[in-house]
Amino acid sequence: MLRVDRVGKSYGTLRALDDVSIEFAPGEIHAVLGENGAGKTTLMHILAGFTTPDSGSVEMDGRPLPVGRPFECKRLGIAMIHQHFTLVPAFSVEENLALARLSRLGLLDIPKLTEPARDEADRLGWALDIDAPARQLPVGAQQRVEIVKTIAGDSRVAIFDEPTAVLSPGEVDDLFRVLRRLKEAGKTVILIAHKLREVMTIADRVTVLRRGKVVAGAAIGEVTPDRLAQWMVGELPPELQKDSATAIREGLRVKGLRTLGDRGEEALRGLEIEVRRGEILGVGGVDGNGQVELAEVLAGVRPYRGEIRWQGSPLKYTSTRVGYIPQDRQSDGLALSMTIEENLLIEGHRRPKLTKGPFLRRSAIREWSRELVERFGVKGLPDDDAGSLSGGNQQKVVVARALDETPDLLIAVNPSRGLDVKATEYVHRKMLEARNQGAAVVLISTDLEELAALSTRTVFLSRGEIVAGDRAASLAGGIG
Amino acid sequence: MIRAFGTFAGLLLIVALTLALFGLPVGHSLSLMAQGAFGDKLAITRTLVKTIPLTITGMGIVVAWRAGMYNIGGEGQFVAGGLAGCLIATPLRDSAVPAWIAVLLILAASVVGGGLWGGIAGWLKNRRGVDVVISTILLNFIAIQLLAWLVAGPLRDVKSGLPLTPELPEGMMLPRFDRQTDLHAGIFVAVLAVAVVYVFLYLTKAGFRTRLVGAGESAARANRIDADRVRANAMLISGALCGLAGGVEYAGVAGQLGTSFAQGWGFLAIPVALLGGLHPIWVFLSALYFGALFAGSRSLAGFTDQGTTLIYIIQAAAVLGLIGLRAVGGKRRIQAEVA
Amino acid sequence: MDLAVLLVYAAPIALAALGELISQKSGVINIGLEGMMLLGAFFGMLAAYLTGSPWLGLGLGVSVGIAASLASGWFCISLGADQVVVGTAVNLFALGLTGSLFRARFGASGQLLSLPKLPQFFGIDPVILLMIASIPAVWWLLAKTGWGLVVRSAGEYPKATEAAGFSVNKFRFQAVAIGGAFAGLAGAYLSIGVAGSFAENMTNGRGFIAIAMVTFGRWKPLFVFLAAVLIGFFDSLQYLLQAKGVQVPSQLMLALPYVVALLVLVIVGKGTSAPASLGVAYRRED
Repeated sequence: MLRVDRVGKSYGTLRALDDVSIEFAPGEIHAVLGENGAGKTTLMHILAGFTTPDSGSVEMDGRPLPVGRPFECKRLGIAMIHQHFTLVPAFSVEENLALARLSRLGLLDIPKLTEPARDEADRLGWALDIDAPARQLPVGAQQRVEIVKTIAGDSRVAIFDEPTAVLSPGEVDDLFRVLRRLKEAGKTVILIAHKLREVMTIADRVTVLRRGKVVAGAAIGEVTPDRLAQWMVGELPPELQKDSATAIREGLRVKGLRTLGDRGEEALRGLEIEVRRGEILGVGGVDGNGQVELAEVLAGVRPYRGEIRWQGSPLKYTSTRVGYIPQDRQSDGLALSMTIEENLLIEGHRRPKLTKGPFLRRSAIREWSRELVERFGVKGLPDDDAGSLSGGNQQKVVVARALDETPDLLIAVNPSRGLDVKATEYVHRKMLEARNQGAAVVLISTDLEELAALSTRTVFLSRGEIVAGDRAASLAGGIG
Repeated sequence: MIRAFGTFAGLLLIVALTLALFGLPVGHSLSLMAQGAFGDKLAITRTLVKTIPLTITGMGIVVAWRAGMYNIGGEGQFVAGGLAGCLIATPLRDSAVPAWIAVLLILAASVVGGGLWGGIAGWLKNRRGVDVVISTILLNFIAIQLLAWLVAGPLRDVKSGLPLTPELPEGMMLPRFDRQTDLHAGIFVAVLAVAVVYVFLYLTKAGFRTRLVGAGESAARANRIDADRVRANAMLISGALCGLAGGVEYAGVAGQLGTSFAQGWGFLAIPVALLGGLHPIWVFLSALYFGALFAGSRSLAGFTDQGTTLIYIIQAAAVLGLIGLRAVGGKRRIQAEVA
Repeated sequence: MDLAVLLVYAAPIALAALGELISQKSGVINIGLEGMMLLGAFFGMLAAYLTGSPWLGLGLGVSVGIAASLASGWFCISLGADQVVVGTAVNLFALGLTGSLFRARFGASGQLLSLPKLPQFFGIDPVILLMIASIPAVWWLLAKTGWGLVVRSAGEYPKATEAAGFSVNKFRFQAVAIGGAFAGLAGAYLSIGVAGSFAENMTNGRGFIAIAMVTFGRWKPLFVFLAAVLIGFFDSLQYLLQAKGVQVPSQLMLALPYVVALLVLVIVGKGTSAPASLGVAYRRED
C-alpha cells in the first residue's frame, strides 16, 4: 500500500499540490486524471523521489518513503516510466538495459545484467531486438524497452506518465495488456492520464486532480465519462460571446498539409483547417499529435507539402504579418542572454520604420521598444537581459513581439503554460484584443479551459489529423 | 566604467602576481615594462605595431564567435591572407600600376584569401556537419605547410639563399609615419576594422542576426532566420578579417613572407577577443593592452630571460579568471531567480 | 622504413589521441591537449634531467598531465564553462609557463640538454609497448566494462546516466583525468624518448593534430591509432625521400595528412560516431 498523506508543494506563487491525500493499493490500476497543470506530474515526481514535498508525507507499507532520493525509492521497488524516454539513442537495446541495472563498474556482463529485463519482456510476450540501436526503433518499441528496463526485477509500484501520448491505437492496446498483466502480478499500477476513454477502459480506480487539489476519487464502476469530465474541468465556463459578426472576412485556409517531424515521422497527414479573420480557432489534443509541427509550418519555419492560403493567395510572410508565440519561450521564444529590446527586435528588425536599408535605426528602435515594454506591462527595462525576467514577464516579451502592430495571422502554442493566474488572464486578454482587431488566430493548446475561454471554434488534433470538432463529444470520448 | 576599471586593476594584479611568481622585482619590472611600452616615441610605436595584427584578427574572432562559430583558424586565415597578398604582389611589382593602387590590391587580395580559408570551414559545417574547431585546426596546418612550400619553392627569392619571398619595394608597402620607427598606416586599417565590426554587429540587420544566432539559435530559427546562412557569412567575414591582418602585416611590417610569417597572431587573437568580451571596442582596448605587454616585455627580456612567454601566462590567467568570475556571477543570478 | 622508428615518431600523437578519445567519449572535448602535452614534455624533461631517471621523468609528466586536466575539468565540468575557451587558455598557459621556466632554468638560447635514455627491449622502448597495449586496453575499457558504459552514456545522453543513478560529472572527471595522463605521458615521451631534449613549444601542434585524429579515426581506438601512425608516416617520409635523393616538396608532404583528414571528414560528413553530447556541459535539473 502506497499512501500519500496531505502532501503540498509550491513553485513560487504557483500551488502545484494542495493537501493531497491518495491511497494506491496493490493489484489495482489506479488512474490519476487531470488536465495539464493540475499537479499530476508533480505528484508522480514526489512518488518517484525526484521532488521533495513542502508538507505532508508519503508512506509505503507503513514506512515513510525516502522522498527526494530517487535511487532509494527505486530500490524500494518504485519504477517510473517517463513520458520522455531515458534511453541512450546511440546505444543498442541491450546496452540500455544493462546501463539501467549496472551496479559494478568492472567487467561488463551484459547477458547477466539484461536477464531480468529479457525475462520480463518474455513474460509480456515482447520480442525485443536486443542488438538494434535505440534510435532506430519506432517510438512504440522504444517505449517497450523503457518499460522492461524500468520494471524489470522486483518493482512493486509502476508509475506510467501519460504513456499513450506517443502511441498508435494498436500499440495502446498492447500497452493496456501489459498494465493488466502487472496488475495480475500484484503490483500497484499508477496511470497518469487525461484521456477519459482510456481511463474508463483500463483503470480500476480513478482520482481526479484539479489545480493541485483532489476533486474526487471513485471506483471506475461508479462513474460515467460525463461525470469525470465535469470533475476535471470544474464548472464549464460559460461559452464566450463569439461575436461572429467580425468573423466574416476570409483569412487562412489550409489544405492537404503534410509535414515530417524531427525524427522523420509523419507529423501532419493531410490536415485541413480554415480560420477567418476575427476568429480564434482552437486546436486541442494531446501533446505530440502534430501541434508543434502545425505551428511551425504556419510560422514558416518548417518545410511542408500542401496548400497554405491567405485570403485566396499563397501565404507570403513578406506581405502578411504573422505573429508567433512558440511553445517553448525559453529556447524558441527568446535569446535569454540578449536584452528585452533585442528580443523584441527579432521581429522588429524586419519593420521598415525601424530600419534604413541594411541599417538599424537605433533611436527609433529605442523609442519603439520602450513603448512596447510599457504597453505590454513588462516589468523590466529595454536593456535588461531577457533571462533575468520571471516566466510571466518573459512570456509578455514574446507576446509583445507577436502582437505589436496587430498581426494578420497569430499562431500561439500553449501561450499560458507555466504562467500564474494573473499572467494567464493578461495573455488571454491580449489575444482576444488581437482577434477583435481582425486577426485570424490559431490557438494550439492542450489546456481545455484555455480553449473553452478563447476559441470561437475548437477542433482536435490526433496523429496529425483533425478529428471531431464538437467539444462535448471530444471531452466525453477522450481527446485524441 | 567601473567594470572597465575593475578589469584593468585585475589585469594589473595578474601581471604583478605573475612577475612575483617568477621571482622578479615587481615594481622595477612594471616600470621597465611601462618604459618599454610607453616610455618614448619608439616604445609607443612598438606597442602600436603589435596592436595592429592583434586588433584586426581579434575583430575576425569576434564576428565568428558572436555567431557561435568557434573559429580557431585565425592563424591559417592570417597566412592565407598574407599569401594571397604576396601572390598578387608578384605580377604587380613589374607593372605600371600606381603603387598606392598596388597596396590596396594587396590588401583586397588578402581579404579574399582569408575569406576563402574561413569560408571553407563555414561551408564544411553547413554542408557536411564538420565541426568548425576541427576543420579550422586542420586548415591552419594546411595553410602553414602551404606557406612553407611556397616560400621555399615557387615564391622564393632566387637571389636569397633563404626560404623567403622577394622583398616588396618600398613604394608598395603601407606608408610609414617616420623612417625611424615601424609604425605604418595599418593602424588606420585596424581602427577602421574596429569601426566596421562595431557598426556591423550593432547597427545593421545582418549583424543583429549574427549576434542572435550566436545567443539563441533556436529563437532565430523559430523566427524565420536562416541560421546556417548567417553562420556561413560570419565565417566568411571572420576569415576575411584575419586574412586582412595577414595582408597588413605583409605590406606593413614584413615586406616578405617566410616560414615564420604568422607568429601566432591568429591564436593570440582568441584570448584578446575573449578578454574584450567579444565586443569590438573592448577587444580593441584588450589588443592595445596586450600590444603594450608584448612591447614592454621586450625591455624586460633585457633584464631577465623570461620575456614574452610571461605574457601567455598573463593572458591565460586573465581568461580563466574571467570565466571563474562569470560562473560565480551566473550562479548567483540563477539562485536569485529560483528564490 | 623501420617500423620501430615510425612508431617512435607517431607515439606522442597516438598516445595523446587515445587519451583524448576517452575524454571525448565522456562528452568533454579537450582543446587544451596541446598545452597538457607541453606541460608533460617540460616537467618530464625536468625530472629526468634532475634525477637522471627517465622513469621519474615519465612519472612526473603523467602527474602534471592529470593535474592540468583536473584543473581544466573544474572549469569545463564543474563551472560548465565553454570547453573551447578553457582549452585555449590552457594552451596559452602551458606555452607561457614552460617557456618561462625553461628560460629561467636553462637560459633563453636553451643550453644543450642531455637526457637519460629509456631502456630498450628488442629494439623498442617500454612506452611504445605501453602504447601498443593501450589500443586494446582503451577499447576494452570503453566497450567491455561497466565504467566504459557509464562514460559513454555520459557523452551521449547524460540524462540516461543520471537516470541510471550515476553522476555525469564524476565520470567525466575520471575520463578527463585519464585523458590528461595520456597527454602528460605523450609529452614526456616526446622530450625524453623522441627528442632527448626540450625546446620551447616543442609539441608544435601535435596536440591539435591528435584532436583531429580522434575525429578522423571515428572515435575507434584502432582507427585513431592508425590515423596517428599515418600522420607519423608522412612526417618521417620526407626524410626518407630526401635520403634517397627524391625531389619532393617536403612541405606538401607534410600538408598531405591534414588534407587527407579534411577530405575524409568531407566525405563521411558528421556521421553518427561523434558522442551526441560532446562539448555540452551537463547541469542537473531539479
